Amino acid sequence: MRGQSRRQRSDSLSNWPRPLLCQRIFVKPALSVIFFTVFSGAGLGLTIWTLIASTMQQHIRMDVSTFYKALAIGAALTIAGLASSTLHLANRKNAVYALARWRTSWLSREGLLALLFFPLLALHIVVIHAGYGAFANATIALVILCAIAILYCTGMIYACLKTVPRWNTWITPAKYVVFGLMSGAVLFTAALSLRPMEVGRLGKPMMALLFLIVGVVLYVSYLLRHPRKHTLESALGVAEGRVRMLDVGHSHGTFLTHEFGFQLARERARLLRWLAIIWAFVVPFALLALTTWYWVAVVFCIAGLLVERWLFFAEAEHVVRLYHGQASV
Amino acid sequence: MRLGLAIDLDTCVGCHACAVACKEWNGASLMGGAPDYDAYGQAPSGVWYNRIRHYEVEGDPAFSPQRCQSTEHHPHPNLPLEGKGAYVPLSKTINVPMSCMHCEEAHCVTVCPTGASYKRAEDGIVLVDPSRCMGCNYCAWACPYGARELDENAGVMKKCTLCVDRIYDTQLPEEERQPACVLACPTHARHFGDYDDPQSKVSKLAAARGRQSMLDELGYKPTNAYLSPRKPVVVDVEIPVRAGLSEKARAFVNRLIQL
Repeated sequence: MRGQSRRQRSDSLSNWPRPLLCQRIFVKPALSVIFFTVFSGAGLGLTIWTLIASTMQQHIRMDVSTFYKALAIGAALTIAGLASSTLHLANRKNAVYALARWRTSWLSREGLLALLFFPLLALHIVVIHAGYGAFANATIALVILCAIAILYCTGMIYACLKTVPRWNTWITPAKYVVFGLMSGAVLFTAALSLRPMEVGRLGKPMMALLFLIVGVVLYVSYLLRHPRKHTLESALGVAEGRVRMLDVGHSHGTFLTHEFGFQLARERARLLRWLAIIWAFVVPFALLALTTWYWVAVVFCIAGLLVERWLFFAEAEHVVRLYHGQASV
Repeated sequence: MRLGLAIDLDTCVGCHACAVACKEWNGASLMGGAPDYDAYGQAPSGVWYNRIRHYEVEGDPAFSPQRCQSTEHHPHPNLPLEGKGAYVPLSKTINVPMSCMHCEEAHCVTVCPTGASYKRAEDGIVLVDPSRCMGCNYCAWACPYGARELDENAGVMKKCTLCVDRIYDTQLPEEERQPACVLACPTHARHFGDYDDPQSKVSKLAAARGRQSMLDELGYKPTNAYLSPRKPVVVDVEIPVRAGLSEKARAFVNRLIQL
């Protein structure tokens, strides 16, 4: 390096090999959290649209059995999601304390609201059956507010982390809310098709189509925004010059490389991004707009969102990677 | 009180003695231990509260112990001697031991849903209560310094306790009431004290030497200080020209005349 010209030298500096973050490649993105966020999002979205539709009987004539089927699917998805979220806990017996710090922790807030959601939904059903129809709109508003708040809290769990610059943006909670409403709307369209309805061809999937467009815009803007805020130099407080790692100090994987060292090949990430866009947004949009294969659209939308959520975790770069030799995060 | 460490990046030789001492003390302590997995196998791993990583800094005059002062012996006469991009002949190896910084704005505590993570009001030590921790890893995600590691055996998060079970132990001789890593350091690169007390050793060291910004832009306000390398001493690297034979002869004659 010493014998080369300045230009060559700086080139060779930028080509410093990155030390391997982990010798063992762990598939880190926690599958339980991916299932949880996608399924409970879809379930909450479905519940929201079912309740909204129930207030607009003059536009969408939804019979009682469809109403309950849709609510049951929504509740089942939400419960399945919440249950799977506990699978990634290393010490499940202490999960009872998870609601303790709702004043500061978004995770705690989310859990609290999730527990509040089902009593509120039950209250609404009791209200409409007990003949207090006058309060129905109020209970619907409460359930919907609670559902949106849960989705927002889920997004804020990730968005509040300054340690992951990619997540630390308002787009993250917006994505969680919009994707929940979007997959819920696609599901709702399919649920409505359980019984022949007197709704125009495009009348049923109208909200689904709208939210698919909003969703794809949000997702693309999330992908285009890729801040690289921190460097290995800023991690060590080196103002001028370059830093390279000589030795990471451990011979095999550690908790840190396991949890934060996941490496995704660029080509593979690109492929998966396009897969997510096509499955989650483009195919459901085409199926809803042009055909009546609503359940196929549901399958594609959920599958696409699962890919999107896997990428969300796989592409998240934590600043601790800097201390493991990565040049920037 | 605001207890913390001061770690000297100049004198740390990267021997890992602090990490081993930490492992030894905490592996057997009442705080629950730091387990190893596959310790004697093919891929040993485990929980360490303190990890040392090694870096090379090149091109930063603040880190370089020496700079070329003349072009005569400069290996690259076409490179500038001053300013940004100047040729700095030596790079510096820095060994950076990292453990919990006991941040003032400890986001790991803020995000903890169970209240297992807490920061003690009396001395600022950040601790985990294993009887409440549910092992969700959220605090580890909130920590920029990689200070928290999950104990897979117990299913709870582990971290540096600043040897809270040593520093207040009146059974120990007073000079031993310090974290194990500080006592073990053979080069005295680690110091322990109260940053709220301006007369404490760590406060004085941090004031005199300055502290490296370790991702300070995140706003966590770490308590531990990484003492900046001392300003480089400019060493005159001019090699004195050896006098030739005629020069010596003239000097000899001059001395003879002066007799």
